[in-house]
Amino acid sequence: MKKTITILLMITGTLVVYSQNASDTLQERMETLIGRINSLDERVALNESDLGKLTKIKVSGYIQAQFETSPYNLAKPTEPENTFYIRRARIKFTYEATDGVKFVLQPDFSTGNLSLKDAYAVASLPKFPSLSLWAGQFNRPNYEVEYSSGQREVLERSRVIRTIYPGEREVGAKLEFNPVKVPVKLQLAVLNGNFTGGQQKDVDTRKDIMSRVVYSLNFSGAGIGIDIGAHGYFGGLMSKIKYVSDLENNMDSTASNYKSYLDKKWGGIEIQAFFDILGGMALKGEYIAGKNAFVGTSKTDPYKTRAFSGYYVYFIKNIGKKNQFVARYDYFDPNTKLSGDAVKKEIYYRTLTLAWQYYLNDNIRFSLNYELPKNETNADNKKDIKDNIFGIRMQARF
Amino acid sequence: MKKNRIVIAILLVTAFITGAAFMQQTKITVKGSDTMVILAQRWAEIYMKKNPAVAIQVTGGGSGVGIAALINGTTDIASSSRPIKSTEVEKLKARYNTLGVEISCAKDGITVFLNESNKLKELTLKQLSDIYQARITNWKQLGGDDAPVKLYGRENSSGTYVFFKDEVVKGDYAASCQTLPGTAAVVNAVKKDKYGIGYGGAAYAAGVKHCMIKKDEKTTGFLPTPETIARNQYPITRYLYLYMRNRPSGETKKYIDWILGPEGQKIITEVGYFPVK
Repeated sequence: MKKTITILLMITGTLVVYSQNASDTLQERMETLIGRINSLDERVALNESDLGKLTKIKVSGYIQAQFETSPYNLAKPTEPENTFYIRRARIKFTYEATDGVKFVLQPDFSTGNLSLKDAYAVASLPKFPSLSLWAGQFNRPNYEVEYSSGQREVLERSRVIRTIYPGEREVGAKLEFNPVKVPVKLQLAVLNGNFTGGQQKDVDTRKDIMSRVVYSLNFSGAGIGIDIGAHGYFGGLMSKIKYVSDLENNMDSTASNYKSYLDKKWGGIEIQAFFDILGGMALKGEYIAGKNAFVGTSKTDPYKTRAFSGYYVYFIKNIGKKNQFVARYDYFDPNTKLSGDAVKKEIYYRTLTLAWQYYLNDNIRFSLNYELPKNETNADNKKDIKDNIFGIRMQARF
Repeated sequence: MKKNRIVIAILLVTAFITGAAFMQQTKITVKGSDTMVILAQRWAEIYMKKNPAVAIQVTGGGSGVGIAALINGTTDIASSSRPIKSTEVEKLKARYNTLGVEISCAKDGITVFLNESNKLKELTLKQLSDIYQARITNWKQLGGDDAPVKLYGRENSSGTYVFFKDEVVKGDYAASCQTLPGTAAVVNAVKKDKYGIGYGGAAYAAGVKHCMIKKDEKTTGFLPTPETIARNQYPITRYLYLYMRNRPSGETKKYIDWILGPEGQKIITEVGYFPVK
């Protein structure tokens, strides 16, 4: 009996010790696992925080590779031109630090021409989110300038825009007002005013002002949307020599011309109308007129002031989901005061551009483009110059 | 004789192709709002039963994803729980030369979810904004338990995220707000977290407490019900939208007309949303 009880007590004691050990082991394991889970939680939180910062960076861009043929070669006017080339190769980096604060950097890598296109910061005031301040290098406030080359339906901008806004970009600061509840957009920019794409700093001390206003009308019942607007440019170019050719091409060599400001003032009106007809159609137009000024170097190449005018009209028709037909007519007279015979190189151009676009998908687009410029004739150019350009472009966009 | 046979053969082939075109099933794709995906699927199922020649494919992904798909041409209809942004309209103009077509198809009250054991029953819009901007971080600041507030919300492609941010938070969401894919996930998280708070479409709110919302301290709090939504008493009410690139025609127009008609609107209430009128 005593033996049995002793054995039973020993077995029970062993079992108690064993289960205590097992429980301690299980407890330790659980504590270890909890510790590991907590450390994994911390690592996940850190990774999420880093990933969150990375998702604020957006990278986009496009490459435009094209083939062009023309009987007219700018460098050698009597020889035809026929070439493949990279028209644009751009990458745009956008970082949205927080709501209402954005940084943008966009270089262009086309062959032999690395340049900076956009480099600006945008900040909105927290209490006035509709108001934003831009500073740096950005597009001048104009419809065709701001309409991205990646979206534009013809290969090049109209002649008047290319002439008065060379390089599209300017360096300065801009205020934009885009209220949510009112369909209006206001832009007011203070710019160096003499940027042609290369120089880092302004060439004079006067800053130019640009302003633009656009109002949107929406007739959703009829499927029509109309944007109407106007813009103005108010600036000047300082003459660094005394030789200035006036509006009528008369040489003025008064000493007071040195360091005087020549007017760069013009205004424009614009309209873009969208129609929900058979897949979509748009009519867009703009008219700009005023006075421009140009840099000179000497008596034989004086500074110039010129009265100019120009306009363009687009007709764009969507055909199904993937095709578009485009026709643009643009006119530019660089010197409205004098005929082409009075100033032989300042002739007007009327240009008809016809294009067809095919969207393979959201990233790839093919364009066929035929540009037919017709120039003013004069003693030097008795006939229209044979300078029609046929181009085929493939654009890859991401 | 040979010429006649060729003509007959061409006519037969033409008739066959034309007939085949009529017999082919029309396909309509609907993509976008996760808030609306259950509703969109119900609409599609019931419509397809009555119209077997029409195939309707419904996917979610978020309002932003749906509108992006509309712009890049990979969906016919984008469902969205927020209005289209002006930047998105500009993209439609640039690509398709139209402003797009907006159809308000239902109403929704964004419900604020609390765990069933949370003592709080109502919040003002200002308190909600402060909670989601982490200006209020402990429930005791609102008269509740001494416990940190755990925030749950949606990802930024969600129309619900955008709407709640614009209309309630009116600022940046707190960095501590956990983003979840879909209102069902938000409800699930709050259900398991005693001190959690979330928001989402009314149709998903099962198993959690609905918080009464009041415009300010002086007004009465309301829950999102058909009556409070119809009378515009519930402060966080929104429309749910369907967007198209162009004015609808053919089978798409018939489908949209059915959605806006009595049959389509009845389904809305069955799913947990509210008719547009």
